[in-house]
Amino acid sequence: MAEMSEAARLTDFEARIDRGEKIEPGDWMPDAYRQNLIRMISQHAHSEIVGQLPEGKWIPYAPGFRRKLTLIAKVQDEAGHGQLLYAAAESLGKTREAMMDELLSGKAKYANVFNYPTPHWADVGVIGWLVDTAAVINQTMLAQSSYGPYGRAMRRICYEESFHIKQGYDAVLAMARGTAAQRLAAQEAIDRWWYPTLMMSGPPDSMSTHSRLALRWRIKTKSNEQVRQEFVDHIVPQIRALGLTVPDADCAFDAATGHHRYTQPDWEELKRVVSGHGPCNQERLAVRRKAHEEGRWVREALQVAS
Amino acid sequence: MSSSAPLIELLIAMADDELVLGHRDAEWTGHAPILEEDIAFSNIAQDEIGHSLIWYHLLEPLTGLTPDQAAFVRPAKDFRCCRFVAYPKGDFAYTVVRQYLFDEAEQVRLTALAESTNEQLRQAAAKLLPEETYHLLHTKGLVERLGRGTDESRGRMQAALDIAFPQALGMFESLSSEDQLIRLGIFPGHRALQRQWIERILPVLSGASLSVGVDGSGRPLGQPDLGGRIGAHTPYLLEALSDLQRVYNSEPGAIW
Amino acid sequence: MTDTQWSTWEVFHQTKRGDPHEHVGSVHAPDPQMALQLARDQFARRLKCSSLWVVRTSDIVMTDYQDPTFFAQTTDKSYRDPKAFDAPEKRHP
Repeated sequence: MAEMSEAARLTDFEARIDRGEKIEPGDWMPDAYRQNLIRMISQHAHSEIVGQLPEGKWIPYAPGFRRKLTLIAKVQDEAGHGQLLYAAAESLGKTREAMMDELLSGKAKYANVFNYPTPHWADVGVIGWLVDTAAVINQTMLAQSSYGPYGRAMRRICYEESFHIKQGYDAVLAMARGTAAQRLAAQEAIDRWWYPTLMMSGPPDSMSTHSRLALRWRIKTKSNEQVRQEFVDHIVPQIRALGLTVPDADCAFDAATGHHRYTQPDWEELKRVVSGHGPCNQERLAVRRKAHEEGRWVREALQVAS
Repeated sequence: MSSSAPLIELLIAMADDELVLGHRDAEWTGHAPILEEDIAFSNIAQDEIGHSLIWYHLLEPLTGLTPDQAAFVRPAKDFRCCRFVAYPKGDFAYTVVRQYLFDEAEQVRLTALAESTNEQLRQAAAKLLPEETYHLLHTKGLVERLGRGTDESRGRMQAALDIAFPQALGMFESLSSEDQLIRLGIFPGHRALQRQWIERILPVLSGASLSVGVDGSGRPLGQPDLGGRIGAHTPYLLEALSDLQRVYNSEPGAIW
Repeated sequence: MTDTQWSTWEVFHQTKRGDPHEHVGSVHAPDPQMALQLARDQFARRLKCSSLWVVRTSDIVMTDYQDPTFFAQTTDKSYRDPKAFDAPEKRHP
């Protein structure tokens, strides 16, 4: 094996992927595959960690025992998902210390949606319902990823995400059936999150530089457009069933295609938000940095005490 | 009504303690020193709030308040938690010290209630003890490790303990119906519980190179931080409850 | 960057007595006892669990995916497969 040429190894590797076999840590892999995975998985992990904040803000205010306990458990799961994903990236040779550093220095990217504000309790429900539905569609696809540890992490995460969606739906349902003010708040939250959620699946694949390789090597198995369409087809009837409105006058079912038409989000906005210029990027990273710095003495002391 | 008044007083004190401490613990979710500890503290927060729910359920037939009404509507002046649980979460040292001192108190309190003449209290105590015992394992481990970790960690832990110890004595503030509760065999009284608590914490703290002010026979020196059990609270409880109850009461007639 | 996230420990989870322990992931922890506690909170907070093992990641010895010879069975070993024989499957049919 040692004398196998790079080209032969690549052929071997791609044949393995084409047969549907998984790649495991310690396998030979093209550097671009490794780097692509590290980038995707660590961004995904960062998203979970930063994703604790917009909803976590509402933990002190959650109305009633059930909502409060559920929200703590949900935000806890996001820490748990971040933990699992960082571990998957660590299996590719990148340390969690290095990944944390990239997040906190602002070098790393993470999901756009977590850079928007959550001014109302309704945002918590709508994030769980809309954002996590979009996330699960993406993650169910990623559970089939050619990289074994990523797929394994995703399968566990998908199971927990279904709890996230249900609790979010349940919170919005209570508001949709509630007072006029509650219904209005739920609608306003949907209006706020609709386009950011559409953006979450990523730009159209023609614009995405990383998608081509990721698809070829089955790191992911669906295009961004496919994932987004699946989300729209799934969520639009649910929103309407609650008597709420999709904030897109052109959104309608098209019998010819069997899919819903929808207006594309503003891709320039996505670029701005992902590159650090969204409404809450600075605030989110500042909170993470503060937690990291204030926790440093704890990490050091436990390291020494052991 | 008057015959159940002592039991109500005890239950409200225990329920409010767990609720307010759980509320404070949950302020770490998303902000803990490392991911794994974030997950661990979120578990503790859920457990404490869940435990308060058990006590509020027992109160419901006695007071007519549902757990949600008791926790999310009742005014601060009617809360009977000790002042200790309401203080802001502070740094991680203060949080760990507070949670550890509380967990040890829960051990003696629940162990005593497991022998109560009151059947419901016995059952509830048996249900809560395993989770509280696990918290204790975790927080005791953190106290031991942070106490002997670095100069900074030892300094922070001792500073936290200096603040927390007199506050923690407030957990054992006498109830107005203390004597009746003891006479009825419902629980052995806060003086006895405090003595057991001090016997438990002293060896652990000294093993962690930490110290508290007690005299030669184990009696605490200095002024205990009392008042919570008679509703004389600090502004921190008002602040905590204003957060806790905000959305629940934001819209008349709304169900969330 | 002198930060520490502690070392990693692999976690093995047994759902109930009688089941095998299965690898479920890893945790960062400063020592074995903390690793067990943190593994409990991460991997057993929902799933039913009767036992957890943790082992320092660096203590795991593993085969090399690159070495195809290690598990090679290139000659006929069918004689040790029960399917190679026509005898009745159960001793007491």
